[in-house]
Amino acid sequence: MLKPILIPALFLAAGAGPLHAQVDYYARAGAMWASTLVRDVLVTEVTVQQSIAPMIALGAGMPISPGYRAGVEATVASGGYSAEQDGADADLGTLRTASLLLGLDGPVVQQLRWRVGLGGIFYLPSEDQGIFLEGGPIRFVAGAGADWRHPVGSEWDLMVSARYDVHRFTTEELEQRGFSQAQSVNRVSLSVGLARGIR
Amino acid sequence: MSRAARRLAVAAAIGALACGDISAPVRSDLYEWRLEAPAVPGPGLDTLSFHWAQEDLPVRVWVEDAFGLPDHMARAIDVWQGSFLYGEFAAHLVSDSATADVIVRSGTPEDKLRRQRLHSALRPECAGVTDLDIDVASRELRLPIRVFVDPRSLPDDPGIEPCLALTSIHELGHALGIFAHSDRPEDIMFVDPEVDLPSNRDITTAEAAYHTPANLQAVRP
Repeated sequence: MLKPILIPALFLAAGAGPLHAQVDYYARAGAMWASTLVRDVLVTEVTVQQSIAPMIALGAGMPISPGYRAGVEATVASGGYSAEQDGADADLGTLRTASLLLGLDGPVVQQLRWRVGLGGIFYLPSEDQGIFLEGGPIRFVAGAGADWRHPVGSEWDLMVSARYDVHRFTTEELEQRGFSQAQSVNRVSLSVGLARGIR
Repeated sequence: MSRAARRLAVAAAIGALACGDISAPVRSDLYEWRLEAPAVPGPGLDTLSFHWAQEDLPVRVWVEDAFGLPDHMARAIDVWQGSFLYGEFAAHLVSDSATADVIVRSGTPEDKLRRQRLHSALRPECAGVTDLDIDVASRELRLPIRVFVDPRSLPDDPGIEPCLALTSIHELGHALGIFAHSDRPEDIMFVDPEVDLPSNRDITTAEAAYHTPANLQAVRP
């Protein structure tokens, strides 16, 4: 299931030798919040939502013109998810998400850079049950964010990042049950890490 | 395309992604799942409803090791768990009947256990009964719920295994809170069902049972 993330990362690493001086790498850890996954009505409203989840992100980029870079960023978040109705929560287990975005970044001011990206998000529930009875979906995702970097050595930067992404969520099980359209899921993350590469 | 038009298109695309909700189906095709019992004090009837509370899950089911009943009941648990979207019901098999919420035996029940009896699946090859010990006055469902699956034919009868499988699903349907029978043979909760698995109507009914306040409370001995 992680092949779609690992293969581009390996290609990037393999091609990084000759371009080493130009490639920018980073790794970050932080927390991610996601909005409601499913909104249903069974007498009263039922909502399914992920908890705030720890996340890690790995990325790399290469310059494409002065000040601008193209790159890839993989993010994995893992946390609980639950159904809520009338104030009562039912724990539904663990839900991991993995996203892979190809993107561009450019300067805002000094140490601050913007970023936009497009890619896919993979839902990896711990058990195929409930809304994931027929498995987790893969969905198209669009994202944006900002990175702030501060040098902490000759080659290393402290990196603080904020990310927002959005995708349309549904599952095969929900579609089989007669759910139509899809739920817009907004995700926001804050993370801190280290970056090494070009300045 | 001008820069302004491109920005507008990008903003419209992100707006389309960010807006809109999933649309849930209308679940109106269901049957009465509640049990009608003589009111205490009378006269008239009380409508009794039950579902397992979240804190009672997973429901502990003990099954007599006879006629392949443990396998049939394990599958019945999977089938009903898979019918719910939001973790409303969960059960597992236990090895000690003293700790069980539901006890499944082969054969027929003794009459002295009888309180509320749900006869089901009256096929030639096998039959099922679920006994509920209900105190109507105190609105208590006294555990364990007792299920009996009776193989009426020989083990080599080709109809026995399918009959035991559907009867296990049907009786577990009673034990999870569907205390009445469907009026259609294409539902697994019909008294003598023509199907092997819960229909959409069975699933909708089970969902209704779990999202409607219950007026019976499970009480352990």
